Amino acid sequence: MLSLYRPGEGRLHRMPAGPKTLLLLVLVLGVSLLPSAWWAAAAAATLSILAYVLAGLGGGMHELGRQLLAIRWVIVITAASQLIFLGPEQAVANTARVAAAIVLAALLVLTTRVSALLDAIERGLGPLARFGLDPGRAALLLTVTLNTIPVLAGLARDIRDAQRARGGRADLRAFTVPFLVMALKHADELGDALAARGVR
Amino acid sequence: MSIRLDDVCVRLGDVDVLRDVSLRLDGRTVAVVGENGSGKSTFARLLGGLVARTAGELSILGLDPARQAAELRHRIALVFSNPDAQIIMPTVAEDVAFSLRSNRLRSIEVRQRVTAELDRFGLAALADRSSHDLSGGQKQLLALCGAFVRRPELVIADEPTAYLDARNARRVADHLFEDGGHRLVLVTHDLALAERCDQAVLFAEGRVAAVGAPDAIIAEYETILRC
Repeated sequence: MLSLYRPGEGRLHRMPAGPKTLLLLVLVLGVSLLPSAWWAAAAAATLSILAYVLAGLGGGMHELGRQLLAIRWVIVITAASQLIFLGPEQAVANTARVAAAIVLAALLVLTTRVSALLDAIERGLGPLARFGLDPGRAALLLTVTLNTIPVLAGLARDIRDAQRARGGRADLRAFTVPFLVMALKHADELGDALAARGVR
Repeated sequence: MSIRLDDVCVRLGDVDVLRDVSLRLDGRTVAVVGENGSGKSTFARLLGGLVARTAGELSILGLDPARQAAELRHRIALVFSNPDAQIIMPTVAEDVAFSLRSNRLRSIEVRQRVTAELDRFGLAALADRSSHDLSGGQKQLLALCGAFVRRPELVIADEPTAYLDARNARRVADHLFEDGGHRLVLVTHDLALAERCDQAVLFAEGRVAAVGAPDAIIAEYETILRC
């Protein structure tokens, strides 16, 4: 989600984040509820292709290919396990439904800035304020969580590099302890950074 | 500068990190120097409202950080040495705009201010780039951009050039020293940067060892370093 956004001026890019989220949610639910039949597999695939072509992404089919490549292991594992236990028709249909749901959901983050999505979430959660939920804080929590993923990945890479530099072998304990320490240190610094930006 | 400390102490855990600090800082730009562990960073964090004093009186821009923290945070900005820890949003423009989130401005005004600030910091071409994919120097410029877009009266920078090469360190320093109506408290080990300030403070073992003109303070610091 963090680096998926593709700047553009297509139909989905111009659509407000709230209605777009609802539309894609309906499509994903629709695909998920299709029966396990050959025609359903074809319908899921057709819907995905149409959605990417009509989204106005610019190179829609190329982007669809990229998304499918990114989830290739999900497709392979789902198809293989279903094929073993359920047979070819259900395996193809179920795998197509899962893949279609993922690539359709990806359209949201491909065409929506995280800040616009957060504003939409904040507005959407507005009615829950009467029950004590702070929508701004909930949206901020989501932002910080999402943005922490690449930071943690970077920390993990640094630790592995440091271990290799000293000739260390892969060792879960030797990795986990410094990773936790660095993650906690980052959390501390992030708290300061939020305070520095005027967030209480 | 309207920073006033009277017998201020800060205790973190069992350690007295700052002891009986009394200061009046009036320069537009103030350098804070001293050895590692001398209390410089805690002093910066105290001014930024990130740590609380355990004793004494403190006034920044006429406000008491303990009682008027929210108002103070709108008038000051902090910049740290590690730019990675300062990035909140996934893209450059969004990260700068995040600083204005608590200001409740209209979206058009947010866009205008973000665009102007990105231009000023030479980041306009990177507006849609992933913040985490920037170089160290670009990340620190982004952190500065995110600080300055709020138009702070006081910028507190804690070793902002520590991780940067000479070219990027100079660019960051030039932005910090630019006279944009803000005042600057700069914690630094770079004595050439300290020399550019109007006033300097030397910390040693949690106490203020000297306050005065930067050249005199640097000379005193170098004497300590030779011992």
